[in-house]
Amino acid sequence: MNRREFCKQSALFITSFLLSKKGLCSSPPFLPGSGKTNTKKVIVLGIDGMDPYLLKRFIDEGRMPHFQKLISSGGDFKKLQTTIPAQSPVAWASFNTSTNPGRHGIFDFIHRQPDTFELYLSTSRTYQLEGGKLQIGKWIFSLKGGELKNLVQEKPFWNYLTEAGVPAIIYRAPSNFPPFAGKAWEMSGLSTPDLLGTYGTFSYYTDNPPENTEDVSGGKIYPTFPQNGIGENYLYGPPNSFRLDEKKPFDEVDDKRSYNYEKLKIPFKVYIDPGHHVAKIVIQGNEIFLKQGEWSNWVEVTFELLPHLKHLSGIVKFYLKEAHPHFKLYVSPININPADPALPIFNPPEYGEALVKDLGLFYTQGIAEDTKARTYHIFDDKEYWTQSQMVTKDWFRTWRWHLDRFKEGFLFFYFSTLDLGQHMFWRYIDHLSPLHEQTLKSGLKNPIENLYKQMDEALGMVLKRMDANTTLMVISDHGFTGFRRCFSLNSWLLDNGYLYLRDPDKREKTEYFDNVDWERTKAYGLGINGLYLNKEGREFNGIVRPEQETSLLAELKRKLEALIDPATGERPVKNAHIAKEVFKGRYVGTLSPDIILGFRRGYRASWKTILGGVPKDLFTDNLDPWSGDHCIDPTEVPATLVSTKKIKKSDPAIWDIGPTVLSEFGIKIPETLEGKTIF
Amino acid sequence: MFGGGKIKIKKELYERVKKFAELAGYSSLDEFVEHALEKEISKLESSESEDETKEKLKGLGYIS
Repeated sequence: MNRREFCKQSALFITSFLLSKKGLCSSPPFLPGSGKTNTKKVIVLGIDGMDPYLLKRFIDEGRMPHFQKLISSGGDFKKLQTTIPAQSPVAWASFNTSTNPGRHGIFDFIHRQPDTFELYLSTSRTYQLEGGKLQIGKWIFSLKGGELKNLVQEKPFWNYLTEAGVPAIIYRAPSNFPPFAGKAWEMSGLSTPDLLGTYGTFSYYTDNPPENTEDVSGGKIYPTFPQNGIGENYLYGPPNSFRLDEKKPFDEVDDKRSYNYEKLKIPFKVYIDPGHHVAKIVIQGNEIFLKQGEWSNWVEVTFELLPHLKHLSGIVKFYLKEAHPHFKLYVSPININPADPALPIFNPPEYGEALVKDLGLFYTQGIAEDTKARTYHIFDDKEYWTQSQMVTKDWFRTWRWHLDRFKEGFLFFYFSTLDLGQHMFWRYIDHLSPLHEQTLKSGLKNPIENLYKQMDEALGMVLKRMDANTTLMVISDHGFTGFRRCFSLNSWLLDNGYLYLRDPDKREKTEYFDNVDWERTKAYGLGINGLYLNKEGREFNGIVRPEQETSLLAELKRKLEALIDPATGERPVKNAHIAKEVFKGRYVGTLSPDIILGFRRGYRASWKTILGGVPKDLFTDNLDPWSGDHCIDPTEVPATLVSTKKIKKSDPAIWDIGPTVLSEFGIKIPETLEGKTIF
Repeated sequence: MFGGGKIKIKKELYERVKKFAELAGYSSLDEFVEHALEKEISKLESSESEDETKEKLKGLGYIS
């Protein structure tokens, strides 16, 4: 199905989201070359994770000439307040809507359904609608579909622009999948899944699998043993909900039938020439020749849902890590094909068509930099750098494309690579990191500094095209710092009598709260910064009564803020924010955590506690290559604001940017927005 | 139907599908079946098991 067909057929969908897209396939407000000149323009360049302290240092050292020029020639540079907690989905949702989390409803990467305890990624979700199914042999037909929802609950500020006749283009705004259905041109950003519906799942085929194969997340490892130089493998796609699993077509419990679906897969062959360390990959008629250490271009792959009738299209890159003596082939997560998107990532579809026509294929995944491949040592630092630079290259050519064509209205553009690069490479600049010494042996030179220099180049590209009618703001959503020590909130709750296990001997194996004794548990930690009371009437088995709530929250706050890490003597929790004191809105106390932990620099939630693990140690060193972070107290990691105009507001915040854009176009700021203009 | 493609189904089922299509107000059986298929595609993401949900959560870089 191509995008025109998608647009046409989307009118058939009964969901409100898809219905609301009907009629958007009309001519866009500023097709390339059709815009006016000498009209007002506002550009916001979003650089995820740009840290104001590092930026200042690099400017002072003369390494950021374009930033220096902008600031010294009438511009300005200030720290930008960010949200509690300083997490990207939360902060960008506040940017998008100019509201606090209590209203836009995004509090963490991970949320839970309190009455069922179902966990989900916070920014978008697919809801299963009740309905019957038709079964015809192996084939299954649903009579009612699912509903894909963007969970940001408030209206984005750019809709006010387009309603006032100001054209707007929103390139990869985070917390915007599926894109808000308005008149702006939008491509979805952070939270856009791969074709499997995950944040990114790579495939790795090797005759020398690592020992931790079972523990790997964010990727699948397929042991494979080529015979006579030929390897036969499958590239696996999502489940085919049209086709039942032949071995176990359904489960039936109490007359309730749940279907098991066959996994879509595409066979491919690899012919290895060990003498020359090269391989030929043959997949769906494509032949790809790779030398050892070489990456392929994008390869389009098609999964058949119903033969000759319905398909899902994806794009992948192959990387021949090693041909001989061991066989090691990495295949990227299957990105949604921008030329034939299986899910709505463009609004309107013509936006995607225009991008693909001029740029060819490009990354569509929300987090395209494959940090998991680095974490699990499929990549080393140099390989991660190479892969993430391919992503950056896509952003740069797309940035250039927009700048060459942008003639009027508002443009938001987003760069992700600095954020992911700082997560993975902070150990290079952090002398206190437990990995610092061994990291310096990896051979990469100044990766973080080089990433900042790239962002300076990105700024230089727009400065060349600026005119007197253009206002430019460069913003980030948070700063950055080292992640050296892990704190396990659930372990602390257990050790202090707020959380109980059904079988204490299985403490180390507990995950997803599967061993928690809810009838005795008063509080639990979920997500990176959230602490929830097990409230009567809200949680499915809640025990904390309304009259106990205030004193229990005060007690937890006091104890957590007084907590000391015995290894360092530091207090890891700078602020335990009580939600009803810092948020306002209908999601406070319902969806929100009850306390948000604001860690000090150097600390973050442990890897296990986030999804309900209860490791025995309260504190551990962070030995993961993911060595930088920002999911801490917002006062510890303020964001960045650089502007072509002087900033009059003394304490600008990320939720002020939208109202500032409206003001620049002379549009009255709606009272429902919480921000003010910064100029 | 389906641009030249054909699907064989049992007569009894055909009658049931036809009846449902009429009851639901579809102008033709083709339209109903096409609509049902289309919605199924949009549902792909929702047919996930608990394990798939866990896989999704763990795929996030912030979580191991």
